[in-house]
Amino acid sequence: MRKLLVAYFLAAAAVGVAHASSVRDCEADSPECAAVGKWNFSLALGAGVRSNPLVRGHDLPLVVVPQFSYYGKRFYLDNLDAGFTVVDGVSSTLSLIASPGYDRIFFYRSDLQNIFANLGESSAATGTNPPPPVPFPSHPRRITYLTGPEWTFNVHDIIGQFDVLREITGHNHGEEVRAAIRLPVTRFTGALSATIGLTWQSAAIVNYYYGAPRIYAAGSALRPFLKLGYVRPLSRGWRLEGVAQYEHLANAIADSPIVAHNYVVTSFLGFIRAF
Amino acid sequence: MRFRVKSSAPRCAAILVAVVLTGGMGEQSSGIQLELSPRVCTLGANERQCSTTVHAYWHSPQEESLCLVILGLSNVKRCWEHYSQGTYSIELVFSNDLLFELRDSRLETVLASEALRIIRQAIRYRHRRRDPWNIFE
Repeated sequence: MRKLLVAYFLAAAAVGVAHASSVRDCEADSPECAAVGKWNFSLALGAGVRSNPLVRGHDLPLVVVPQFSYYGKRFYLDNLDAGFTVVDGVSSTLSLIASPGYDRIFFYRSDLQNIFANLGESSAATGTNPPPPVPFPSHPRRITYLTGPEWTFNVHDIIGQFDVLREITGHNHGEEVRAAIRLPVTRFTGALSATIGLTWQSAAIVNYYYGAPRIYAAGSALRPFLKLGYVRPLSRGWRLEGVAQYEHLANAIADSPIVAHNYVVTSFLGFIRAF
Repeated sequence: MRFRVKSSAPRCAAILVAVVLTGGMGEQSSGIQLELSPRVCTLGANERQCSTTVHAYWHSPQEESLCLVILGLSNVKRCWEHYSQGTYSIELVFSNDLLFELRDSRLETVLASEALRIIRQAIRYRHRRRDPWNIFE
């Protein structure tokens, strides 16, 4: 993990000082740039669903999804994520972020991430569900936060993100690495993009959600995903968006007695109004 | 009554020319002084228009017959006959500089002028975070 962190910082620093890029610097409000000191709110209205891989887990409907963000000079809020930007270069950004552990969304329908609708990375059954058929001791999955560096780069409209995170709320002390790259596919009557990514979770995190002492002990898990997104700007403040995502769950998660499916599928089609 | 001023580039150019041509000339030659309060309106980062009540005050060493007009607002005109001073207040909504002018009663000669300027707070932009784990783009 330490070697990974060192390599990560070296790579981020190297790109941070390099300014060769096709991306112009920020001069106006746009999908790439935000006004400093201004709150941004948007509301998505449409039809969508996120599957719940837990045994007897209910799928999560996506109908009305609020989103918000705020960008200060260096500090920012991006829904439930918070960050402090250390380096904000033309093509590369290095931040220290705090981000909630996603897996809780499958256990608790009331989790805030089910309101602000992050895509999530894993799974199990909602808190109000009957117990799974396999005897499995129930334990609460608390809200957790992970912190660590996040490096994003943007070169020729290709956006990459790399996070190395550690749980800091004291519930599982696990580690997580998130990596994703977003590629533009076409801009014909809208922008179609493809994102491929993966999440690596340490055994501590996987077991916190899906394990139980003497019943099921999992190792670390690697979870790749593929996401297709379509955006078409409409009249002022409105845009049409469609999303389809498939995430594959590693055996360490899928083999858990409380997990029924080794995938999470998310889809949404609707209109988004920015305020 | 509230007056809304539409923005237009040609009008800005006209104001600029008028300021250059009349700057100081009217006041110095006729001794008529025109004062505005406020003289500046500051727009915040999220504001597009100024909305404020403007008080205009003029005075002269001798009695004058004149009118106060605002360039670009043809429906605003306040005239005085044989006065040595006068005040006028008006509620305005505007998004560009406004030029107030005191003209003779035939509206042919500019006797004094003063500009009400807009200062826009500089808006800084920074890179927006693109989170692949968020559902939306």
